[in-house]
Amino acid sequence: MKTLAQQKKRTGLFFISPTVLILILVVLVPLIFSFVISFFNYTLVDPSFDRFILFKNYSTIFQDTYLWNSLKITLIFVFTVVPLEFVLGFFIALLLNRNIRFKGLFYTILTIPMVMSPVAVGLIWKMFLHADLGIVNYIFSVFNLPSVNWLGSNKIALLTIILVDIWHQISFMILILLAGLKSLPKEPFESAKIDGASNTQSFFYITLGLMRPVISVAILIRVIFSFKTYDLVYTMTRGGPGVSTELISYFIYKKTFMGMDFSQATAISYVLFVIIMVIVIFLFREMSGRKWD
Amino acid sequence: MYKKILIIFITLAVIVSMGVAGSGCKSAVTTEKADTATQEAASGAKGEVTLRMLMEDIPATHAVEALLPEFTAATGIKVEFEIVQYMDMHQKLVTNFMSPTGQYDVIEVDNYWAGEFPATGWIIPLDDYIKRDNFDVSVYIPAMLDMVGYFPRTGNNKQIYMLPIYSYSMGLLYREDLINDTELQETYKALYNEDLKVPETLEEYVQQCRFMQENAGVSGSAMQGGRGDPIVMEWSNYLFALGGDYYDENWNVTINDEKAIKAVELYKENIQYGSPEGALSFALDDALRIMSQGKAYSMISYIIMLPLLTDPEQSTVADSTRMIPMPGELGLAGGWGWAIAANSQYKDESWEFIKWVESAEIAKKRALNDSTPARIDVCEDADVIAKYPIYPTMLKVISKSKPIPEFLYSAEMVEIVGRELSLICSGEKTAQEGLDLAAKELEELAVKAKLK
Repeated sequence: MKTLAQQKKRTGLFFISPTVLILILVVLVPLIFSFVISFFNYTLVDPSFDRFILFKNYSTIFQDTYLWNSLKITLIFVFTVVPLEFVLGFFIALLLNRNIRFKGLFYTILTIPMVMSPVAVGLIWKMFLHADLGIVNYIFSVFNLPSVNWLGSNKIALLTIILVDIWHQISFMILILLAGLKSLPKEPFESAKIDGASNTQSFFYITLGLMRPVISVAILIRVIFSFKTYDLVYTMTRGGPGVSTELISYFIYKKTFMGMDFSQATAISYVLFVIIMVIVIFLFREMSGRKWD
Repeated sequence: MYKKILIIFITLAVIVSMGVAGSGCKSAVTTEKADTATQEAASGAKGEVTLRMLMEDIPATHAVEALLPEFTAATGIKVEFEIVQYMDMHQKLVTNFMSPTGQYDVIEVDNYWAGEFPATGWIIPLDDYIKRDNFDVSVYIPAMLDMVGYFPRTGNNKQIYMLPIYSYSMGLLYREDLINDTELQETYKALYNEDLKVPETLEEYVQQCRFMQENAGVSGSAMQGGRGDPIVMEWSNYLFALGGDYYDENWNVTINDEKAIKAVELYKENIQYGSPEGALSFALDDALRIMSQGKAYSMISYIIMLPLLTDPEQSTVADSTRMIPMPGELGLAGGWGWAIAANSQYKDESWEFIKWVESAEIAKKRALNDSTPARIDVCEDADVIAKYPIYPTMLKVISKSKPIPEFLYSAEMVEIVGRELSLICSGEKTAQEGLDLAAKELEELAVKAKLK
């Protein structure tokens, strides 16, 4: 005799099974398929599983100095854009959470970059930042400031990509944090005010504490997505000058479609996957306040 | 309970993925059968056939697009163009070729891929069609047919995989008004004890660029030093001008020999002293804007840029822009060819299209609409020359150029050389260090392609 709880569980499983099955087909199967590929010599020129080479793809990629360079640049990129987007985004979200005029207009303006495709963003900013004919350097010249070689200098190009990415992605951070701020209960703030807490104290001891889950989600999503940044590099610098902006996603793209080497590309993708997972688990544990066992 | 379900799902997923993997081995065999079946079905309903093509967004494509209703009226076959930027084409085509039945039938092949696509079997030989319909290939500029026609380019086994569409060989575009400026001529004479004239060697050209940058108030050369194909295409002109090459005739690497080192040093010198500030990030469009706005003395670029730069509506220096073949030995040849995808369902219909678009009548109509011809008869046609007096110049540029090595890994070769050139020009490596590493990797590519 089945209990009601068991019957409910079975009904629930029945209803979610199509979704789970589709998810397995479109997520898990490609993941496993690409994992299998990474142990074979499977190329676009010879897409077969004739040669099983175990860890050779992994040992080969780790000997590639340009891969290490890409990993380093990617880490610099991720751990620069995410904190900056968070700090700026939180600041703007706090401003928008107050009673100010033209709030709707600000929302609209802030949402525009988020709905633009990254390719369009890259192409537009490439024109704006043209060292000789771009509007940014023209504005600099109006104020007698020296022109900047935004994309043609190996010392500045990565910073330029970082700034454009912040411009593009900060609205995501603002909207998520603003939604979190809007949903905060008013009572703790009122109690704190009665107890004589200043605005700064309320912010650090109440707002930040209550916002912790929202902040965690926003940062985790941005960390994952910024590891996968590809379009801006593709449209603006192609990894150059030199290898100064060669993020790991662009490196994988080159291996796949120019080197036509699926196996090595998937091996690198799995290395990236492991790195992202480790960072995400670490951040999740830290930010959710769970202690390591 | 949940753990059991999860284990079952993962097991199923592994089995399914292994099954997919296994089917990959058989795809080459099954594809052919599927192709034959679908082709038979297609030929029975010819009136409903729609050919799909991936085309680059350039004037030559729009010239063909405007004529497509004529083809449909004559054959009943519809044609759909998917027009994209060059940088998106290779990726889209390679992905398409991996599928047993592709979505593109007629393929527009850049000479960069003219070794890769036939070697992988992604496009089919056209010899049988050419023979069957007595299609005359002798009308093409021989250099074009060698570059985007035959594969391999030499030897007894060569077959025709493509018919040339148009050339984009490179030469030197320069400002005649600056060369003829008496004040500049006097200053140049005083500085170098030489006459300021149209350059005849690469060294003279680089010297002139620096001079113009320092004395004429313009950049010496609107260079396209962006990483990837822009820098490689431009630098190849320097290399070929000095008589260098990537490989010798036996596929031994020569990219780090004395000529190549000198070509890199001259290129870097021009980037540093004779080009706009952002040149190391420039692609063609960035450099073109500089040149067309009269902000540069010269530009090493494609012959297809000449009509644009001599058009007063698009260029402020239309009257004074001239083009010559690359100073020195040779320039870089480039061009496109028509091919038929091996995984197309409509191979016969694709050939019908190629035969039509390359007929003398249609080729002339295209030439009269901004599409540089690949056929000699069209190049020499009186009506065409009357509208485009620059075509004889283009012929000279094409005849004094040669392409990059065409083999299975040409695209990867370009990426490797582009990366090292960019590192050298941004000061992170010496010319010798960069080219030595490029040579090592090019050697590996030649071995991987079974050329040695």
